[in-house]
Parts: sequence; structure tokens; C-alpha cells
Amino acid sequence: MLRAIPAIRRRLRGGGDPNAARIRRRQALANKAWQGLPYIRIVLFTVGYLWLLAIPSSQFGQRTYIDENALQPGQVHTYWSWNDVHRADRVLEDLERLRDQNATSNEIANYAVGEFEKIGIPARIQHYSFDTVDGVLEGTNAYAVMQSPRASGAEAIVISASWLSRTGEGDGTLNLRGVATVISLAQYLKKYSLWAKDLVFVISDGYLDGMQAWITTYHGAAQPNLHAEPLTLSSGVIWTAINVDYPGHSFSHLGIFFEGLNGRLPNQDLLNSVSLIARHTGGVPVLVHDHVDPRDTPNTPSILPAWLPEALKSNADVQEYAVRARNIVRHMNYQARGAASGVHGLLHRFRIDAITVFAVPATGPHGFHSLGKILESSLRTMNNLLERLHASFFFFLLVGPGTFMKIGSYLPSVILVGTAMLFSGLGEWVNAGWTLASPPPLGGDEKTEKASAHTSWVQRPRPVLQAVSIMAATHLLGVLLFYALNSGLVPSTVIFLLFAILPVLALQLVSSPAPPSAPLATVLKAFNLCFASAVISITSVLNFSLAAALAVFMGLPLTVASSSPSQPKRVVKYALYSVLALGWLVLCPEETRKAIWNWEVLEVWFAPFICIVYTPLVLQAALACSLP
Amino acid sequence: MRWLSCWRASLVLVLHLAAVGAASEQFDEDLTIRPLRDGKLSARFSFSTLLKDATPRDPQQLSSDDEAQHYTLFPLALGQILREYAVTELHLTLNAGKWNYDAWGYPEEPGVGTGAELWAWMGESIPASVDQRWQGLRNALAGLFCASLGHLDEQRTTSPALTFQPEGSLPNFTYPHQLRHATLPSEHVCTENLTPFLKLLPCKSLSGIASLLNPHRLFDADWHGLGVHVRYREDVGVEVRLTFQAIFDPVRYSQEKRRDWSLRSVFDRSIERACPVARSSKVRVELPRGPSPYSITPDPTAIIDGVATYVVDASEEALDVAMRWPTEDTFEYPNTSEAPPLTELSVRRTLKGTNQAEAQLTLVITNNLPVQVTTGYLETMPWLLQFYLHTLRAHVNGVARDDLVSILSYTPPVPHSRPALLQAVLTLPPSSTLHLTMDVVKPFLRYTEHQPDAQRGWDLPPAVLVPFAFGEGQNGTVAAAHGRRPRRMYTPIMLVDLATPDFSMPYNVIIMSCTLIALIFGSVFNLLTRKFVVVRVSPASDAQAAAEQRQQQR
Repeated sequence: MLRAIPAIRRRLRGGGDPNAARIRRRQALANKAWQGLPYIRIVLFTVGYLWLLAIPSSQFGQRTYIDENALQPGQVHTYWSWNDVHRADRVLEDLERLRDQNATSNEIANYAVGEFEKIGIPARIQHYSFDTVDGVLEGTNAYAVMQSPRASGAEAIVISASWLSRTGEGDGTLNLRGVATVISLAQYLKKYSLWAKDLVFVISDGYLDGMQAWITTYHGAAQPNLHAEPLTLSSGVIWTAINVDYPGHSFSHLGIFFEGLNGRLPNQDLLNSVSLIARHTGGVPVLVHDHVDPRDTPNTPSILPAWLPEALKSNADVQEYAVRARNIVRHMNYQARGAASGVHGLLHRFRIDAITVFAVPATGPHGFHSLGKILESSLRTMNNLLERLHASFFFFLLVGPGTFMKIGSYLPSVILVGTAMLFSGLGEWVNAGWTLASPPPLGGDEKTEKASAHTSWVQRPRPVLQAVSIMAATHLLGVLLFYALNSGLVPSTVIFLLFAILPVLALQLVSSPAPPSAPLATVLKAFNLCFASAVISITSVLNFSLAAALAVFMGLPLTVASSSPSQPKRVVKYALYSVLALGWLVLCPEETRKAIWNWEVLEVWFAPFICIVYTPLVLQAALACSLP
Repeated sequence: MRWLSCWRASLVLVLHLAAVGAASEQFDEDLTIRPLRDGKLSARFSFSTLLKDATPRDPQQLSSDDEAQHYTLFPLALGQILREYAVTELHLTLNAGKWNYDAWGYPEEPGVGTGAELWAWMGESIPASVDQRWQGLRNALAGLFCASLGHLDEQRTTSPALTFQPEGSLPNFTYPHQLRHATLPSEHVCTENLTPFLKLLPCKSLSGIASLLNPHRLFDADWHGLGVHVRYREDVGVEVRLTFQAIFDPVRYSQEKRRDWSLRSVFDRSIERACPVARSSKVRVELPRGPSPYSITPDPTAIIDGVATYVVDASEEALDVAMRWPTEDTFEYPNTSEAPPLTELSVRRTLKGTNQAEAQLTLVITNNLPVQVTTGYLETMPWLLQFYLHTLRAHVNGVARDDLVSILSYTPPVPHSRPALLQAVLTLPPSSTLHLTMDVVKPFLRYTEHQPDAQRGWDLPPAVLVPFAFGEGQNGTVAAAHGRRPRRMYTPIMLVDLATPDFSMPYNVIIMSCTLIALIFGSVFNLLTRKFVVVRVSPASDAQAAAEQRQQQR
């Protein structure tokens, strides 16, 4: 037994110099990895993409819970009564009259201020105007600061309603009942001395623009294209905010919208508390966004595609998958674009945890009575806070109203794709650096065999500088593209053609490296893949949805990009990749316009990110294809 | 018969004691009620006890035994503290809420800063320095009033002698007097502070005006605060004045939203009997000047200058003053944007900014008078917020007017130990708004310095403004009306967010950072201690063959 040990040791370490053995071992390991690289890549890609697809599966996710003990949601008796509902109806009548008179923003804001002043809450109006590509955007906000009894005024809660509802992302539907709720709620809340924080009521004009003007002015954050009147009433630090959106006549469900600008999310405790209160105090079922679950409500069209076999359609797991997938796709759509899913999203930037409660329009059974109770109880819960919301989660995926996924359960999918790209890039880098030595021109067969056995690979110089300058140039081009879009002077088709052709023309200026050095395409691809992988991995922590989108749009396409010996093939490949890089200019002009508006008015980074990071990266792959 | 004689004897004794007390001590109580234009009601209780011909203790004599003190009315617990630490003048206020100067005007008691404020004038001495006695004083008062005054340590103590001038006189001791001032804005005031406060009164809350001090109602008031003021009046004696000030909201209490009030509706009590040892006991009601007619019951003892006075000891039955506005169905709030502010200045102070490292302190002061006003401006800022003094800018209507800030004195903060003290004189042009801005940095705290509720942030003390000179306008009356002593104005407090670690998972953080450090250290150490040599590596198959050969040879 003991005699076997030295033998094993010898087998492991090999004979001779231990250092040499170690180096040999390392070489062998690298060799193994190199030989297995294609399989590793395939495995990483497959697992990553499958993981992404599996996120909506019913096997994942856990129940939501309240982490912050101070919140105590739903533990209070609510006193909001039918008298208050009656008052809300009165305010609504006034608002409807204003609507029918085609009242200006000023008149509406003055009406709101008058209502607040009547109940003894100081209120003011704020005019603002934004300079945008599409012209000047003007409006008037009304806001009121209720100084709570005994409170020092160092903390505040914001209750807001925008004049336009979030229906259709601000398509012009009025949020009359939301505004009426806020005004009547102010009247009601003033009766109590239990508020520990000031209550700030904001009736913002427009959909997002009004609140953006108000909240940036409140925090003194300068925005060059915004001209807003300074606020003459002030309060303290805002910790939490709730935005009321009630566009219909009645509602059946309460939808919770929580995605903020640039992919920020509020603390999960806030939405958990509000949904708990809605269910238990208000008796209103809660939805993520406004997605009514077809399984709970008859007469709702199924969300499963019609072509699926009936056996699958009736499968509970498949149905659950479809419901969750719809929530996740909607969420990712907001988060990846950095768009706010409601007025609340503008506040996240200022470290305010905010959500929108959306009364999903229906013929019943709920109205002002349930909404008032829910809001009263939610405000009481927020009022309980002694600290900022800091327990619970800031990174999560809400797959259902009571189910969520922790960051650890979805983040690896994208990281795996990023790792696969990194390995591909490193593989290309090694490929670029080594070449099979051509057999010596003279000599017999024996000699050739010996040469191939011993010195089969030779190192060759890699044109790093050219590749890096091409990359830098494409990113500079991206900056130009961004400015061209921002100016709004050039039609997008022209921009598309210009920016698709410009790189190829510019490429003629780059001298092709001399034969012994590696082809430029390989080095460019190596760098491109490594950089894209880094971008995806870093983004995944900040904005998972954006990283997932990048992983889908760049993961495989960038990896399979390769040069081809035939000229026509290269041209076709280049064309395809430029469509992937710039196609959005022509294919979705409305989305482009929205992204530019979001950048100009709300400072959303999506448009510059796409122009300066995404498009150049795909263009680099296109160039790698076009190079011989 | 025996009971009667006993009763008589005790009566004689009480009268005798009262006579002795009256000779050297006197107690006056006073309640001032002021209906405000926004439907609220201001009430100020003042209980003052005068110790005749007494002088504050000379701190030079602290090493020798104090002369015996005999008090009948004067609060013993407080008197002992005053003697022990040789305090000449003392002001302690514990307030909750934000005083709304625009709608409520100047308060009767000027100290209305949110939270706790303590300031004292003490003579310097050799045996026990002012700072030592200041520490003892705040700890003793913390014990007496059940408040966290012990936190008013050197990190919060300053000496802004210009703003906090002595209200009495300072005796001529060996060394001059010094001021110590500290604020604790996060202190909450509640019934645990009121109970010891009531114990200092000669009649407690059993009789007299103090019987109205019903904690259930007082601590439901929109604003409330209690104060202890000790001063030395030359040739008169040492005076202790205990005050309670509150702003009630009768509209909130009333079902019909009316502003009618009575002592019973506001305090849920009436004055059943007078305090027998009080020299005077008065309820004053400031009569409203508004156009709507009102009635006040019962008939006041006297009406002087629009103030109705009720003398409490004279009334046989319970006193329940009531005021009603019979023509009003519901109270109509005045429009706040149209009603002129009641004070010369309107002040707003905010902290703006979006990140955890920097911010901007903004002070917006509106001069409501048609004449130029000169005001003192005081910031006693803990080092939690550090000023970039060179960025101090003044603007009026968007025009830079740095000349309006003068006589600037600044004591920079010492991180982890001393607060900053900024004093300046601001000149406010007539009927205009001055914007004062200054960049500030938020320091990085040691992790042990965070509060238990670390994610709350830190409450910062109020700034104090003292408008002291009113320039001549078109009508000289405005300036003349303000010929009295300058009054302090407190701004609201602020909350500042400092960079805060996630205390909810310290072990994760520790493990993570330790792993990172170990990795970095390990690799660097490995590289530093490694010896680089040339190793000849033959292909693996050769090495194996060589090994086999060696075995065969063996």
C-alpha cells in the first residue's frame, strides 16, 4: 500500500525537474482547454440561452414577503368613507367640466391650487417648458405641501397624479379620476394628526414631462433644455412616493407599475406592501402591470398562440409559463429601453422609492372607495418608516403579483453568454497569433513529417494597432450618429445609408497588414468579442434586461461573424450586419423618436448607449466580415 | 371639635409658610391665547418663579461648600443643578413641529427650533472650567427632563455669542462669562418630558392654569414645545420661567370644521380652582382683528389693547373661556399666496443635490417690508455637512449681489469632533428675495459613527436669523414699530443623507472584502517572492520515456 504512493506521486509529477513538470502540466492543460474550446463555447451558449428561456418557468421564483418590520402593512383601520367618495365625485365633476371646456393647463392647475387652498393646504403652480427636437413642450404643474402636525418637515411623502394617464404610454387618455382621488385624499388626510412626514401632493401636467420638471426643480438638478419656475413651497427629503393612475370609470384590478428611468427599480418592500394592502384592506386583486390573468377571469382571450396543440394549451405549467413570460417581457421591454412605465419612474433617480398604482379600467366592481382605502393604508405604511427602505431587494424580477426572482437566479444566464463570447474572443486572439508553418519547399517526405511533428505552429505578428483604431473609429462614428439623430435635421433613411457605407469607405484608408502578420479580420473579431462580452457582463449587474437584449442581439451574431474568401458573400454579410446594427433607424422610426425624446427630456441613456456602444460593436463585426 | 382645631392649626401653618414664601419667593402664572388667521390657536403657558435677592453662584467658589438653599416655591431639583454647575443663565427648549412664521407670526417664546436646544451663560473659573460644567449641566438636565441632552456633546457645542445674548444680566465675577450653545434636532418631545416639567411647578398640574396641561391634547397639537429659562435680574433675584407653547387646530377637532374654541374643547379641561401660592394667575386672550364678528364668554375681567384678561383667583366657579364666530358656518382658510406673511422675513432653507458626496445649501430669504432689513445669519453645522465657503453666492432677482453678505465669520469644523460656526450679516433690499447658495460636501463617516438607524440620515440643526436693523422707508412707522429687542427666527431643520454602508449584511461585506484582499495580496506576494529561472522543458513523451528508462535501469 505504502509503496504505491511514490509511484502515484511519480505518475502525477513526472520525473525530472519539478518545475519543468509543472510547466509541462500547464501546457497540457492549456492544450486540453484549447481542444475543448468549441465544446465549451457551445455548452456555455446553450446553457445561457436556455436559462434565459427558462426564467418564466414555474419551477423558478419564490413568494414575495415584507422584509422591513417597520412597514406593518395593512395593520391599520381605514376611515375613508362614502362621504369622501362623494367629495371625490364632486371634484371629478369639476374636472370633467374643465375637460369639456377645453381648459388650458393653467386653468386646470389653478383649479387644483384653489381646491388645495380651500382646505387649508398651501399650494402653488409651476410653469415649465422643455426645448426638444419636436418643438417646445409647455405645461403647468400644481403642487401642495401639507405641513404635518408635530412633524419637523425634514421628510416628505409624495402623492401624485399626472393629467394624462399612462394608458398607451401617455396616448392622451385623461387621468381625471386619479387627479380627483389625489385632491379628495388631501382633503381627507388633513383631518388626522398622525402623519409623521409632510405630505406633498403633485398634480403634474402632461404625462411624464410635468413631473420631470417638478422633481428636477425640487432637487435643484439643472437640465439645460428645461426652463421651470423655482418652487416656492418646499419640504424635506422624499423617501417614498405613490402615483395614482385611474383613467377608466371603474376598475377590476389594481396594476402595479414600478420600472423607472434607466432600468432603476424601487425597493421591493414598497410594491409588496401596496399589493398586500390592496388585497387585504381594499379587497382588490393585484396585477403586475395591467396584465389580467386569463385563468382568473373568464371571457379573456388566451395569451397562448392559437397554433399550439390543445394538449399544451390546457397544460397548467404552459399556461403559467405564458403568464409569467408576458410579465417578464413587458418588464424587460421597459427596463432595457430605460423607459419609465409611469410617472413614478422619474423619481427613482433621486433615491425615491416610487410606484404607480394603475386602476385597470373595467366595468366594476371597484371605484374611489376601494382606491381611497388602499391609498390611505399605503400612506400609513409609508408613514411608519423610520429609515429609508433598505431591506428587501432593489434587483429583482417580478414574475407575478406575489412571485419574484432574486438576482442570483436570473443573472447567470446573461453572464454565461458573455463568458462564451469572451472564450470565442480569446480563441480568435490565439488563432490570430499562430499559424501552421508551411512545409519547407525542398526535401523529401521524411523531413516534412518530422517538421510537422515538431514545429507545426509558428507565431506571427498581430495587427493590434489597426484593429484598435478601427474600433475607436466606429465608436466615434457612433457619437456622430447620435448627434445626427439629435439634431433631427437629416431623415433617418439617409442616416442609415450614410452610416452603413461610411465604415467600408473609411476601411480603404487602413492599410492591410503584410502577409506574415495575421489577417486584420481575425484580430478585429477577437477584440470585438472580448469588448462586447465585457459590455454585456457589466451591464447585466446594472440593467439586466438591457444585458439580456444585448446577449440576444450580439451573442451569437458576433460570434459567427467571419470573413469569407468570395467577394459577393462578404458584401452580403456586411449588408446583413449593418441592418442588425442600424436597421432600427428604418424599421422602427417611432421607437427611435421616443428614445431621442426620452434622452432629451428625461435623460434616459438608452439612445446614446445604442448609438455609441451597440451599433459600433455590430458594425465592427460587419467590418470583420467585409475584410478579406 | 378636635378636627376643627387641627384644621385651624394646619391653616395657620400654611398661611405662615405662604407668608415666608411670599417674602423671598414669588410665583406668577400666565396663559396667553391667540387665535391665528389660519384657524389655529396659539397658547403659551408661562410659570415664573422669582427667588428674590438671590445671586447666581460664583464659579470661583465651587471648591468650597455652597451656602444652604431653602426653597418653598422655587424648583429644588433645578435649583440644585444651577448651584452645582454655577450657571448664571440657562435656556432649554424641547420642541416638536415646524413653526410657520408666515401664518403664525413671531412666537411669544422665541426658542422654536425643532428638537432640543440648550444654551447657557456661565462664568469662567479656575477650579472647574466652563466646558467641564457644561458637560455636567447637560447630563444633569438630561436626567431631570428625560431627554437625550447628553448627546449635546462637543460635536454639537458652539459659542455664537452675538445671536444668543443674555436675556438677564451677568454678575461681575472674577472672570468673564462664556456662552455654550448646542442643538439636537432629532430629539422628540413627548409626555416623558412633560411629567418632570410639571413636577417643577409648585401646584403641579393640580390647580391653577397648569391644570390645563393635559398631555393627551398637548401632544396632539400641531406644534408644541416646552422651555426652561433661568436668568439673573440684577437687584431683583434669580428667575426661573417654565413655559409651554402650543399651536392647536380647533378646525381639526370640530366636526363642522368651525374654528370656535373653548378651554374645554382644546384642553379637554377647564380651570377648576386657582393655585393658592400664585401671586398672580391670569388668562389673556388676544381678541381677533378680522372682519367676522365673534363672541367671548365669560366676560373678561379687563380688556386692554385688544387683549381680554381673566384673573383666575377671583373666579368662584370653574373658568372655561370660549370664543365663537356665530356667523361662520365653516371656517374658510385664507389663501396662502395672497395673505401677507406676518413676519418681516420669510425664510426657506433647503439642501439640494442628487448624490451622496456633494450638495448645495440654499437659503431663500424674502424681505416682506418696504424698507431695507439687516439681519444676522447663524449656522451651527455639525461636521456632517462641510461648507465650501468660497462658493457662497448671493443673488437678488438673478443678479449676483455678493456685497449683501458682510461681516462673515467662520470657524471651520474639525471632523469627528467640532461643528462649524458661520455667522454673517445679510442686507436685504426692500421687498425682494435674496437667494444665498453654498456648495457643501458630505463627509464619509467611520462605520462606528453611524447611528443605529443608519439609513435615516442625519438631522441638521436649524439656522437662526436675527433681523436687527430696519432702514428708513417712505413711512417711518415701519421702522419705529420694531424698535424693541431683536427677535430670533429659526429655519426648519434638514435631513442629510451620507454615504451609508449596508449594515443589514455586515458579514457578507466582510467576507467579500477579505476574499478580494486575500486574492490581491496573494498574487502580488507570489510575484514579489518568486524567483525567475530558465527551465528546459522537453516534450512530455520524452520525459516519460526517460523515467521509464530510469526504472528499467534500477
